[in-house]
Amino acid sequence: MSQFVTIFYALAVACYAAAGLLLLAFFLWRKGWLSAFGVPLAIAGLASQAAAIAAEALATGWSPTSNLYDSLSLFVAFTVLLYLIFARQYNLWYLGGFVLLVGDFFLAYAGTWNEGYRPLVPSLQSYWLAIHVPTVVASYAAFTLAFCTSVLYLIKFYLERSHSGGSPMSMGLQPAAAGAGSTGAMAMATFVAQRTGNTVQDETPGLALAAAQGDTIATWLMGIPTLAKLDVITYRIVAVGLPLLSLGIIMGAMWAKEAWGAYWQWDPKETAALVCWIIYLAYMHLHTRNQWRGERTSWIAVVGFVAVIFCYLGVNIWISGLHSYKV
Amino acid sequence: MATATERLSTVQALYAEFIDTFGNVLFAVSLLAVWGVMTLIGVVIDQGKDPAAYFNEYPAQLARAVLRLGLDHIYHSYEYVGLIGLILVSLTVCTFKRVIPARLPPLRPVLVDKIPLHAFIEANGSEGEVRARLEGFFAKAGWHIRRKVFNGVEWTFADKHNWARRGVLVAHLGFAIIAAGTTLYWLKGFSGAVAILSGQTVQIPQNGDMLTVHSFNYTIKPTQTRGGLVYQPVDYVSDLTAASASGATTRNLLRVNHPLEFDGISYYQASYGYGVRFDLTQAGHPVAGVPATPMFEGDAFPVGPTGRSIQYSQFVGTIDPRSPSGVGADPRPFNPGVVVTVLDGEQPLGQEIIPLGRAVDLGGGYRLEPVSYRLYSGIEYRHDPGVPLVGLGALVLVAGVCISFYFLPARLFVRLEGEGDRWMVGLAAQTPKGYTMFEEQFAALVASLQRSEEATVS
Ligand code: HEM
Repeated sequence: MSQFVTIFYALAVACYAAAGLLLLAFFLWRKGWLSAFGVPLAIAGLASQAAAIAAEALATGWSPTSNLYDSLSLFVAFTVLLYLIFARQYNLWYLGGFVLLVGDFFLAYAGTWNEGYRPLVPSLQSYWLAIHVPTVVASYAAFTLAFCTSVLYLIKFYLERSHSGGSPMSMGLQPAAAGAGSTGAMAMATFVAQRTGNTVQDETPGLALAAAQGDTIATWLMGIPTLAKLDVITYRIVAVGLPLLSLGIIMGAMWAKEAWGAYWQWDPKETAALVCWIIYLAYMHLHTRNQWRGERTSWIAVVGFVAVIFCYLGVNIWISGLHSYKV
Repeated sequence: MATATERLSTVQALYAEFIDTFGNVLFAVSLLAVWGVMTLIGVVIDQGKDPAAYFNEYPAQLARAVLRLGLDHIYHSYEYVGLIGLILVSLTVCTFKRVIPARLPPLRPVLVDKIPLHAFIEANGSEGEVRARLEGFFAKAGWHIRRKVFNGVEWTFADKHNWARRGVLVAHLGFAIIAAGTTLYWLKGFSGAVAILSGQTVQIPQNGDMLTVHSFNYTIKPTQTRGGLVYQPVDYVSDLTAASASGATTRNLLRVNHPLEFDGISYYQASYGYGVRFDLTQAGHPVAGVPATPMFEGDAFPVGPTGRSIQYSQFVGTIDPRSPSGVGADPRPFNPGVVVTVLDGEQPLGQEIIPLGRAVDLGGGYRLEPVSYRLYSGIEYRHDPGVPLVGLGALVLVAGVCISFYFLPARLFVRLEGEGDRWMVGLAAQTPKGYTMFEEQFAALVASLQRSEEATVS
């Protein structure tokens, strides 16, 4: 059985790498065939990862989330799954290059933590292991995706700023055909509509103009949703991640109550998860304010992701505690 | 002297200032930011350690700063608890000043084409028919319809998920309930830990319950991993009797993850260890001051009047001369021994592994022998009357977050313009979360309305 796990795992790493490169190329060149190959390869990677996880679960008779290898592998599977769901819903296929390559890096890194099967220590022998860990890890996956869309937002935002010599227009609300009638603006509006299919006019006129004049980077960026839409997409992904993280922390507390007596012990891991929760809570609250939506909330999603990685890997590796997989 | 009216207006001004500050989301986010930073400090800096541990870990200046600023117990500091209090105040003010007052725009006439989310579609039929069709369409799609006349012009308004505006209230309430549950524990709860040797009975100081551990057992499974052979603990179990002051008793097997609820207290199998009994003699005579009962790891006793003491530092299941430290990987007591530390006052002078049953010469005629061991069970207990509240709060909080995220309150403004049988229906939509958030749903709604109108007209 462990042979199957190894083969499926290696296959998944290879599929994600190939899919990531193809989708990165798709992001750069927008050739349909690149995504036509890349997306099925990503799905194949996910399928073989699912097979590896299932084979391991069968072999151990336990939910395969008992060490950092298992959990990282699950994290990557959730990240790819969420990416596929969101990409289908919001046409985000171009994001695949980033998501899959980041995911593949983590999956390859997970392999270095694979020490083979070990029976579970008493505190891990609980049905909570099968519920709490996947829930938290799924929230991390959502935050990873939100990080990717936020980075894209910020790239587009700052490039618009540099192309227009000032700040971008406030998001989504202004008719981009301000000054319509001039040939440049008309060309720009037509170009935007052709590239993006956006009906609400774009708020990145500097980029649109540059794209219409043949600027390659601007052309890439005009092919992705408007800033306002990217912001909403990030919000929707956080809207998946935050309830999952809340649930995950709560379930962890319930488990802790069962295993250690107290539902909260200020253990570094649970406390770091609380820090992540606070950051995304701040994100959510700032998002209710018009002026704070966009650039600043995107930065918060980036900071949130750094906190998530610190909580996930940093605490396990550098700070030991009740949760550390090393003990 | 300030007159009563002046004093009143100062109070009113202060109150207004307070409401303004605490009702501002940016103030709330600043509090959250401080909360996040303080919490993070506690992750990075080990909490609740001995002062010496900080001097070991950090440069002296930093260690002093950590201790002076109380960063070694940040979560129980007045600052931290006070901050949570401020968050609760801010949350309450915000909820009642911002959230509960309607967040959707009022029912009023609007310039439909000035609202970014708008559309016009043609409809045929008398005004009454068209309005009835529109209302039927929206009602079927789950919209709540209201009509109002402004300056003689009739408007139709349609609301969806208006109730979901209360999601914020629910989420905030959840947080407040959790805070209440935690406070209840501080006021009325207690907790602690006891180490009970097999065969020993111990009293819980807070409520007088007696705990007897008849025996303690563990299972360790040697497992071959890629990194080598590991000795994995897979089960700890205490055979335990609990007796309350009122005379009720229960005998149970206590395992990790399976707490025992008895007399309002939860008991947990937390850890285990080896109690060790020592003999200390000088010139063949027993030395006073050595405990007659087995000692736990960390305990110490004096070496006569020398000013030195012996600390029982660690139990070694298997002494392995091949390993550099002498401690074998197998924790089970196959070739057992103990690590003892000789202390001069507080100062450690040296450590040694002594096999069980073997006496070693300490000099000055003193001989030390670890005589025997007995397993003990580490049991934690907790009485926490706040748990039901915390659980309820958690549930309410998640429900509130989900309602706020997944049900977007929206309001449609519907205006008919035209005459006779030809009408132009103007539609505009607003939500409390901006226009882009509703763009796709609006487009789908308009397309579907368009199709339904076309079907009706043809
Ligand atoms: C520092 C204390 C807090 C204050 C002052 C505060 C205040 C607010 C305000 C004013 C809003 C509505 C903003 C608007 O739509 O205009 C809001 C939204 C919300 N708050 Fe809080 N809040 C606090 C803490 C919390 C906590 C601890 C939670 C726990 C989950 C929470 C959950 C929510 C949710 C779910 C929303 C809705 C967000 C959305 O619809 O996107 N808040 N908060």
